[in-house]
Amino acid sequence: MDATPRVTCGYLNSYVNKNVMVVGKVIQLRGESALIDADGNITAHLNRDSHLTAGSGVQIIGKVQPDLSIKVLSALDLGTAVDYNLANTVVELSHQHRSLFASD
Amino acid sequence: MTSYGGFQRTGYGAQAANEDGGGFMGGASQSGSQGQKKSYVDEFLRPVTVRQLLDCKPGYNDSDLHLDGQPITQVTFVGQVRSLNPQTTNITYKVDDGTGTIDVKKWIDPEKAGDSESKFGLDTYVRVFGRIQSFNGKLHIGAHHMRAIDDFNEVNYHLLEATYVHLCFTKGAGGGGNAAAGHDAGGDSMFVDSGNHNSNKTANCSRAAQRLYDFLSGSEDGTTGVNLNEIVSGTGMAASDVSRAADELLGQGLVYTTVDDETWAILDY
Repeated sequence: MDATPRVTCGYLNSYVNKNVMVVGKVIQLRGESALIDADGNITAHLNRDSHLTAGSGVQIIGKVQPDLSIKVLSALDLGTAVDYNLANTVVELSHQHRSLFASD
Repeated sequence: MTSYGGFQRTGYGAQAANEDGGGFMGGASQSGSQGQKKSYVDEFLRPVTVRQLLDCKPGYNDSDLHLDGQPITQVTFVGQVRSLNPQTTNITYKVDDGTGTIDVKKWIDPEKAGDSESKFGLDTYVRVFGRIQSFNGKLHIGAHHMRAIDDFNEVNYHLLEATYVHLCFTKGAGGGGNAAAGHDAGGDSMFVDSGNHNSNKTANCSRAAQRLYDFLSGSEDGTTGVNLNEIVSGTGMAASDVSRAADELLGQGLVYTTVDDETWAILDY
């Protein structure tokens, strides 16, 4: 698997049709899709293997769709003890210091 | 001597040219060849991202890999296991941290086989401690130790730490005086090491000591040194901090006391 840049909601439109990694909190589960808060709300279209829990953290890796939703390839439940501010800071940092993180 | 010299020639090859210089020269070139061997004293464990590992370049002598101008051997990083390939003597994992994927080889200790050497499942986050190894031009990590990550925040923590260490090497340790800040403005250039030579000598020192060293090297007093009071007014540091920093630099042999115990000059060599 190629590199999957860490992004938050605000970065999605720069990564359409690319694979990204998002860390956020599951706000709502709606069957086949879920609403995830990662510095803004993101709709994630789940696959059959993803087991999310509303209210806990999740790391999703997936492809950004033209409507800025994410088609999930892999989802990892992170439990409730996730520091979202830290995760968002790391995203910002990873875009400032591309030599350490960037794939392009 | 002739028969002994002939023996030396076959034994050491490269030394034969020095043979006429006698035993001492032979010894000197021998110690030279030892100097090229890896010195384990200088090794330290560096936190990195996989991207940095993949971007490592060989140094001047093509032997060691370099990152940010520093030789790099021992590394630690975090990532998710993407595939595993168990063999009889080792397990090869592909570990992905979002910036890239790298092979990690964990040798199985035959004495502990079976119990504690548990395998890590797919998609679990692991922390790897290991040594960079290059085989047929392809990098992999020889893992000394691997463990599963229980708290996801460790992943983000590690990425911050890797960034911090990268910035320390490329821009200096930060917090320095104005002179140092001016110096660091060029930190993004490709010649970080040659330009900022002070930070090489004081690389292991605290920030206060680095600041003191920069101040001393910036002052033009030659061998008379700079008094504590001048340093305090010049840098704005507290006198106790200056004394402590000076003690540290004295211990490292980077400065020496001149007219009294509170006047220091750079020990240049």
